Amino acid sequence: MLNPVVTQISVKAATFLLAAEEAPGAEEGGGGITSSPIWPSSSEMFWGILSFTALYLLVRFVLLPPVQRIRNDRAATIQADKDAASLARSKVASASAEVEDQLAGVRGEAQVVIDEARAEAEAERQRLVGRAEREVNAMRELAATEVSTERAEALASLRPQVADLAVGAASRVTGRSMQSSSVRSKVDEYLANPSNSN
Amino acid sequence: MLGLEYPPIENLVEWPNYFGDGQIWALNKIGIISLLALIIPTVMFLVSKKELVPGGLQNIVEGVVEFIEDQVIMPAMGAQGLKYLPLLLTMFLFIFFGNLFEVIPTFQMPANARMANPLFLAVLSLVVYVSIGFKAHGFAFLKDTAWPGFVPVGLRPLVGLIELLTVFILRPFALAVRLFANMLAGHILLVTFGVLCISVFTAGIIVILLPLTFGMLVLLTAFEIFVSFLQAFVFALLTAVFIDSSLNPAH
Amino acid sequence: MSVLTSIAYQVAEVAQESFTADEAKQVSGAAGAGMAYGLAAIGPGIGIGYLVGQAVQAMARQPESAGTVRTNMFLGIAFTEALALIGFVVFILLKFA
Repeated sequence: MLNPVVTQISVKAATFLLAAEEAPGAEEGGGGITSSPIWPSSSEMFWGILSFTALYLLVRFVLLPPVQRIRNDRAATIQADKDAASLARSKVASASAEVEDQLAGVRGEAQVVIDEARAEAEAERQRLVGRAEREVNAMRELAATEVSTERAEALASLRPQVADLAVGAASRVTGRSMQSSSVRSKVDEYLANPSNSN
Repeated sequence: MLGLEYPPIENLVEWPNYFGDGQIWALNKIGIISLLALIIPTVMFLVSKKELVPGGLQNIVEGVVEFIEDQVIMPAMGAQGLKYLPLLLTMFLFIFFGNLFEVIPTFQMPANARMANPLFLAVLSLVVYVSIGFKAHGFAFLKDTAWPGFVPVGLRPLVGLIELLTVFILRPFALAVRLFANMLAGHILLVTFGVLCISVFTAGIIVILLPLTFGMLVLLTAFEIFVSFLQAFVFALLTAVFIDSSLNPAH
Repeated sequence: MSVLTSIAYQVAEVAQESFTADEAKQVSGAAGAGMAYGLAAIGPGIGIGYLVGQAVQAMARQPESAGTVRTNMFLGIAFTEALALIGFVVFILLKFA
């Protein structure tokens, strides 16, 4: 099925890449019992024990202490920072409470000021409105007296002419002269009494 | 069907020595990885800055330490276990970096897929938790284990035997085998899909299947990174749990 | 182990009787290894499924205790998984050792 030469080459390649070129069963160091894949080889164990012991001593006395020291330092620093942070937080809380108190006082004062200002403004408004009303009333009265004065003046100025007209008209109607002062005074009297006219 | 020729398992897990054949200090790829699992965490810890505001590598280093504290020690032991931080951290780092070389090119081999490191770590865990038990309770630790007071008298020999077996044999055995077998299985899985990819690539028309096998290989690589982490975590967590059960044996 | 091996041996004999002894041993070892791992995977598979399901349910009911539940879940998975992994080791032993 498969070219045996190719197979041989491929297995050679696999063996070269992944495994030792030859089975060294006979050349195991030290150990008497060999050629089982399970039995431990004493030379491998020698190097393993050597490496492990060296690594343990190094870790115990050289490698681990600095790491542990820096980890403890970090834990201490973190703890200190945490404490400082909680201290600062409590400080902030008290300060903010203080500020809150002050704010409440200031707010009350402001309220008082606002109320006062509002009351003053209200009084001012009342005063202004009252004054304006008074002025308006005064002006209105003034206007009313002016109107009546004018009217009286107009009537007074009209009266002689109306009397003349009435006398003239009566002269035409009666056909004789009525230039006497008695007639004239009567007409004036009539006109002066407005209840007789419309 | 494909004429798949799987390499023998010895070729997958056993590596030639670079020097010192036949000697105890014979160094092969597993030894190199063990040394790298020592060097990489050391360099990481040394290079990372030590500043109050962490950044970059320092984040990773402190994250690892914090992970061991919060996810391993605190759930298993509580605050009394914080003094075992160096041991558990070392176990985690050593196992994790040993595992991680499973997916790092040019290595492609987890150090813990050989029995040597898991066996040593499991025996170390056994020694640690037994000695902590003796230190905390004296001889009563052994007595409480073999003759447990919390069960009826008639059951005590049986339960005591089971407890002894569990504490002294099954726990380290399971620790070692869990780590070893997980990593070996992952390695074999990756090798299998690698070989499969190459075989499909050279198999004429069947090459159209290559996206499937290669995609699976990529997915498995990601999964093996997760397994590397998980096994290191579980090993450290179980050690912590065993130490806790030695400190407080009446459960 | 030996029972599985003998069963696999019989399977191999039935399948093809012209094996040499060495091939038969290899085939029966492989078949036994496969059976060992397959059987060892059944129980832990069910167990881990049940365990994770219950853990997810617990986390959904009490999200505030999710951390503890997750840790205990990983512990339980580790203990349960060990059985399957022992099966895997037996597989390796049968197949290669």
